[in-house]
Amino acid sequence: MKRPFLVLAAAAVLAAPAAAHHSAAMFDFRSPHTAKGVVKMIEVINPHSHIAMTITDKKGTRVWTFEGHSASNFYRAGFNRGAVKPGDTISITYAPMRDGSDGGYIVAFTTPKGDKVGFDPPG
Amino acid sequence: MRRGAIILASLALCAAASAGIAQNTDEALTPARDFSGVWTTYRDPGSPPTAAGPIAAPPKAPFTAEGERRKAEYDKITGNDGSTPGSLGGDNPGAHCVPYGMPTMMQSAGGYPIEFIMRPEQLTMIYEVESETRRVYMPGHGVAPEKRLPVRQGYSEGRWEGDTLVVTTTDLTDGVDQRTYPHSDQAKIVERFHLVPDAKVGKILEYEATMTDPVYYTAPVHFTKRWMPLKDGHIMAYNCTEEPWLRLLDARRKQLEAGQPVTATMKDVIDVYN
Repeated sequence: MKRPFLVLAAAAVLAAPAAAHHSAAMFDFRSPHTAKGVVKMIEVINPHSHIAMTITDKKGTRVWTFEGHSASNFYRAGFNRGAVKPGDTISITYAPMRDGSDGGYIVAFTTPKGDKVGFDPPG
Repeated sequence: MRRGAIILASLALCAAASAGIAQNTDEALTPARDFSGVWTTYRDPGSPPTAAGPIAAPPKAPFTAEGERRKAEYDKITGNDGSTPGSLGGDNPGAHCVPYGMPTMMQSAGGYPIEFIMRPEQLTMIYEVESETRRVYMPGHGVAPEKRLPVRQGYSEGRWEGDTLVVTTTDLTDGVDQRTYPHSDQAKIVERFHLVPDAKVGKILEYEATMTDPVYYTAPVHFTKRWMPLKDGHIMAYNCTEEPWLRLLDARRKQLEAGQPVTATMKDVIDVYN
């Protein structure tokens, strides 16, 4: 009973910028990037899923929020319930933000078990 | 005991006959007319699977000047600059938990499966996204015009031409947000559904749609589609984001736990309501 609200509270904080990402035109699907990090939050929901990850790069360590396809698409693309949990280290391939800010749209990711969940780019 | 049951059954039969219930004029559902099942966009077996299916760009539609103006305005409002095709090119109803509507739903926007449930008197179609539902009423089962509530999916009546189901849809609300074929509330859509056997996938459901709309188009617009049975046969539940509701419950729970009056409303948890 308690867990959903903890997740939700985390989502409320982290998803604030992502919630505004309803149009995906700000993502650049032509040149996907790949990053590795520690999952802070994962929400596999409709209409769009979200993954927040702690990522360290040249600019330092930050929490990035990624937006992705629907829960239905996650499951059909190979995602299984509970396959990625907060604390897991995963590799994620994403379409970066056109304006160069942190975050992006999930193109693929690899679960800790090694299963690849991949989505077709739009087009 | 048994005699009583027989008498009761006979009485029930007589009552049914006198009430006219036996006068069923529905056409039988032969195998060639039974579209029941879960269908997915046809893909040549062996081709790579796709998670999300963009809709192929339509040929240039014959817009009226007014149609052109409304579409251009909509693209500006939703941030569609033409640089990204499909569902990611600008804002769209699905991203806000609003059902796609007609005809976008029948274009399998996003690449989701669709379920058909067929009864002699009614075809029910359920698209996975939002569990968006259409009902097609067969002859004798329609809704009187003054009782039709205009909705994004419109009002649909069907009839058989041989084994082709012909569906006419009217009573639509304004469809400026339809993905490739926006329309006004004057639009009328005629669809044709037909099953064909297929050696590779078993059967294919062939489909064509023609839409007329004097406000948006100078000529009818037309598209075709083919579905095949979904291999694993499952359509998924699709509850769209429950976050606003869950946030509201959470806020009220906190008030309750703090001994405060339970007064939180949506505008306290979601700034869009302010």
